[in-house]
Amino acid sequence: MKLTRRNFLAWAGIGAVGAVACEGFGIRYGELDIQSPVRLPEDLVRGTDNWYASLCRVCPSCEGIVVRVMEGRAKKVQGNPFFPTNQGKSHARCESGLQALYHPDRIPSPLRRSGPRGSGQFLPVSWQPNGIDSLRSALQARGSSSVMITEPLRGHLGLLASRFASAIGGEQLGFESLDNNTYRAAVKNVFQQDNLPDFDLENSKFILSFGADFLSTWISPTRFNRGYGEFRQGEHRDRGMFYQIDSRFSMTAASADKWLPVRPGWEGHIALSLAQVIVAENLQATGVNVDALVGGAAGTQALNNFRPELVAPMAGLTSEMTGGDPVEFLKNLARSFAKTRPAVAIGGGSAGATDNGLFNLEAIYALNYLVGSVGVEGGVTLNPGSPWDNVPAAGKVGSLADWTRITEQIRSGQTKMLMLHGADPVHGLPESLRLRDAIAQAEDLFVVSFSPFLDDTSAMADLILPDRVYLEDWGDDISEPGPGYQTIGMQQPVVNPLADLDPLSFPDVLLTMAQELGKESQLPWSNFKSMLREGSDALFALNRGSIDAASADDFWNRLLQRGGWWDEKSTGPTKVQAPNGLLRSIAEKASDPEFSGIGIDSDSYYLVPFSHNTLLDGYNGHLPWLQSAPDPLTTVTWQTWVELGDSTAEKLDVKEGDIIRVESSKDSIRAVAYISPAVPPDVVSIPLGQGRQHGSDYATDRPGSESSNVMDILETTQVKGTGSLAWAGTRVRLFKTGESVSISKLEGDTRAEEIGTTPGEEIIKTIKPENH
Amino acid sequence: MVAQRVDHKWGMVVDLDRCTGCQACVVACQAENNIPINTKDYFQQRRAYEWIRIERYWEGQFPNVKAKFIPILCQHCENAPCEPVCPVFATYHNDEGMNVQIYNRCVGTRYCSVNCPYTVRFFNYWEPVWPERLRNQLNPDVTVRSRGIMEKCSFCVQRLRRGEVNVERRGLEPLTGERIPTADRKLNYRQMKEGNYLPSCVQACPTNALQFADQHDETGPVKEHFDEANEQIETREHGGHVDESHTRVYRLFEEIGTKPNVVYLKKVEPFPVEKA
Amino acid sequence: MMPSAKMLPLMVAGGVVTVVVGFVLVVLIISTFSNPPFGLGNAPAQPVAFPHSVHVAENNIQCEFCHRNVTKGEAATVPAVEQCLFCHQNIDGTSDTASAIAQTEIEKVRTAFETDQPINWERVHRLPDHVRFIHEAHIRYFTDETIPVKYGINGEEIVESPDVAQTCTICHGDVGNKVEVQPKTGQSLKMGTCLDCHRENSVPTDCTVCHK
Repeated sequence: MKLTRRNFLAWAGIGAVGAVACEGFGIRYGELDIQSPVRLPEDLVRGTDNWYASLCRVCPSCEGIVVRVMEGRAKKVQGNPFFPTNQGKSHARCESGLQALYHPDRIPSPLRRSGPRGSGQFLPVSWQPNGIDSLRSALQARGSSSVMITEPLRGHLGLLASRFASAIGGEQLGFESLDNNTYRAAVKNVFQQDNLPDFDLENSKFILSFGADFLSTWISPTRFNRGYGEFRQGEHRDRGMFYQIDSRFSMTAASADKWLPVRPGWEGHIALSLAQVIVAENLQATGVNVDALVGGAAGTQALNNFRPELVAPMAGLTSEMTGGDPVEFLKNLARSFAKTRPAVAIGGGSAGATDNGLFNLEAIYALNYLVGSVGVEGGVTLNPGSPWDNVPAAGKVGSLADWTRITEQIRSGQTKMLMLHGADPVHGLPESLRLRDAIAQAEDLFVVSFSPFLDDTSAMADLILPDRVYLEDWGDDISEPGPGYQTIGMQQPVVNPLADLDPLSFPDVLLTMAQELGKESQLPWSNFKSMLREGSDALFALNRGSIDAASADDFWNRLLQRGGWWDEKSTGPTKVQAPNGLLRSIAEKASDPEFSGIGIDSDSYYLVPFSHNTLLDGYNGHLPWLQSAPDPLTTVTWQTWVELGDSTAEKLDVKEGDIIRVESSKDSIRAVAYISPAVPPDVVSIPLGQGRQHGSDYATDRPGSESSNVMDILETTQVKGTGSLAWAGTRVRLFKTGESVSISKLEGDTRAEEIGTTPGEEIIKTIKPENH
Repeated sequence: MVAQRVDHKWGMVVDLDRCTGCQACVVACQAENNIPINTKDYFQQRRAYEWIRIERYWEGQFPNVKAKFIPILCQHCENAPCEPVCPVFATYHNDEGMNVQIYNRCVGTRYCSVNCPYTVRFFNYWEPVWPERLRNQLNPDVTVRSRGIMEKCSFCVQRLRRGEVNVERRGLEPLTGERIPTADRKLNYRQMKEGNYLPSCVQACPTNALQFADQHDETGPVKEHFDEANEQIETREHGGHVDESHTRVYRLFEEIGTKPNVVYLKKVEPFPVEKA
Repeated sequence: MMPSAKMLPLMVAGGVVTVVVGFVLVVLIISTFSNPPFGLGNAPAQPVAFPHSVHVAENNIQCEFCHRNVTKGEAATVPAVEQCLFCHQNIDGTSDTASAIAQTEIEKVRTAFETDQPINWERVHRLPDHVRFIHEAHIRYFTDETIPVKYGINGEEIVESPDVAQTCTICHGDVGNKVEVQPKTGQSLKMGTCLDCHRENSVPTDCTVCHK
């Protein structure tokens, strides 16, 4: 038959109908299979769900979870209602652990590097003998000059990692992109505590927060959110008042009753000006020995240098910001803070991330002494240490100074072996440290990564030994910050790894190595579970706390059942003597924030980076739920954006979606412009989290203009006194590139503003507190 | 005696004064309800699926600026505009105050989403795809919707049903597994909390801004608010005036008369932005 | 108007194509629907020729002994291979009463257990993905003695409360006497069947009771 146009169309039509019909009537994916498993444990019955208690390990705060398991597959993660820190609540990050578990890009078996280092070319090898043998011989030859970089470790894994490192003669350090060392040092200096405190927001009447994005990413957001909900509308209490003093309009600032924009790095000055007003007007809580706290006349003298009249112009406060005279505003703020008790002052985030960050945080936390909020209900709750003698409640986390030293050691050949677990320092450290180059060029260096996923540092590894994901593995954690009393969380495997994956648990590999290297004396355990069991027995021997058990076995079962152990009676100190002359010594160490690099001039801007609400620093950037959860303020997903104020956008003639080049003295990155009414004219903000070069497509498949890492352009300024990265201490210039992209965000194209003035037209209705 | 079916009337209360916009509900919903991965393209084409989403509204100009968050989900209206326009009765209102979408009845006309004033109905423009391994996470209690089908928030009806079966029919106390006497077999707020029968977003919400219960449940957190909201409707229907300045209770777009089963509580603002 | 000579072959060809393709389509649709989920009286070949008649009718094993979850939860569950071995560790099909093929079939089950290979059965009753069906609830209802009159899926009155095995036959037919499992004769299990039965028995018919 001759193929004419007409019958070609007829045939095509028939073919299409046939295809649709076959497709439509076909039976979907596996619906006609029904399987008799070989063995049927009681908890694997079809259609029946079981909930197992465990711990969330997606972010460093310790949250108890329950995992819904059906037919051997984890289906859902929720907060563990019994667990004291999060009390049944969870963050978006907790849920996404499931996607790590069933991620398509998990490394199925050990990999050995086959191309040049950093090329990301690997060949699969077997565990036995290749993987394990390579690790053993590397440890034998290089163990004494090795560095193990892990996530911040607490509990038994912390003990194991540090003992292992010392047994082989190496070093172990925790890694966090935006480390808490400055905050920790401030807590140590002000409260003389080694453990991070908790804030009793639930019972507080006044929250004064400086720079801490505590509802989104800072320290323990789920716990703080829970407290915040009660702080706002809890029963049997008045609504609390909340001021946020912050250089960026964060999600936390959006929830505050009043946001006070401040120049980055001047938070400490403002805190001291408030202290000055409280002292001068005698507003301190009864029983507070102001004289001792201030440090006598010399202290008063020192404090007087921070009178609101002097501080307000320095910190960039204008009468528009404060709705009147800024000096009066600060004085009134000090008065209401001192009079509305219990009140709590919180500082962190960008407030501790300029070179004078330690001074800022100390000044902020010292305010709590003045209003008598240390160790009381509604104030700062101090935490006790670990219930185990030898198990650390907080591991050592490296500061920028440490990483600079280690990079130098790698470059000089002094460090011959790197072990990585749960950390991606190549992505998470400022590019100008040149860690990537140091690893790539080191000739005699062996890099082992225990990561279940490829990331930027693992891509430089010689050997990748895939670890189990936390839902498949044992573990424990000492809550930090705890809820004010000793709290242990237990992590148990809720499912087995899928059949096509062959991961080995990192602690088990370490213990095996310890055995094979003859280090049994330091690490006598055959596997990690038995180590945890020993910890459980030690808790049982304490004979106190939440678990009432007849025997050690019973105790262990209940520990796993409940997801942890806690003892509400073992509280931290409730009374702390403030160091004599605390305010004076803080005032004397005050310094103005300094910005190296470009310096402060009229066409440069303060760069205030921030942790992404769900991705944090991007270590979990391969989890699609975290990528697709809109940023609360901008609703942007999947991309790196740069937040510009209206006036900045006008000045640069930029509209939303334009690609901006952001340049510091170190380097430049490109990002998509998002124009926001809430960004101060001299500030730009860029989230961390994107810009990964290796690993899953979910993390890497966007071009550099849409996905870049703000760490690449940060100045390597250190915080004085702690050596941490002063990540808010960079000035940048902005350039319009002329390119633009469609911004992937939830909100529409026009700025979503409340419309109309009649109440009926508003979507979000509000009410004055006096009416409520 | 088989426990007879207990009538419920479900309702959600959203306290805007508690909401911090943290997105926990959004991801919790996606995990529970087999929502396809929202890729960058989906967002760029404005086709992202978020059965519950957090809308953010700006107010004012720097430096007197505010951002307000409001979680928006299907309002389960009593007078739902989406229902009468469905030519195949794929969406209807059931006795329990839920607006229900029956997926395999839907033919994808999208009339309902056009008619929905809250834009909470989502059309599957594509066949949902997950990488093979991620399919292991899919919740067997929820259908995977194929291309050409409208979907929306169901108040996590699969969880409510599980609760009803376990507590009201089988009479099992969620935590202890003890038998409940036949007369007391009514799913109450405590049992919903303990048995994980609350909607996923409510369960996750860390500030307790989302609350869910039977509107008539004395022990639940929503009754008082729904009583007040119903009173408001009654007053208005009888031509009366509701003094809005002294109550936090309101419903979204109540002036169009949809009578949602979701009630919002106003945000409290000590320092409101001056409006032009 | 007669078509021109040129058009005629084209029309004939078009007609033939339509008939042939139509026929193929009809056959395709019918064959699709006569597969186990939709089809009537169709017993797919199973990897192990398991005779329910031997187990139930001859040896009086209760349904819920193998389908352990049927009175407890949603799924009836096919037994694990381990569970077959409870008996077949000792029973090897060599007795006088056993049929000729019994030995080979039992050997298959034992091999599956020894080699750790699950058995993949062909499904006979397919429950679509969007339907929630709880076996336990139905058995609880039909075995409840306090309900005086119940109705089966064809509207037949059930006055005396049946036991579990009898309850199963209401929908599944007399599986216990069958060598090969197949849907109940003359009975397709479709939504109408469910709905009729729910109406007869005055139990909820809200869509969300079954649809998920």
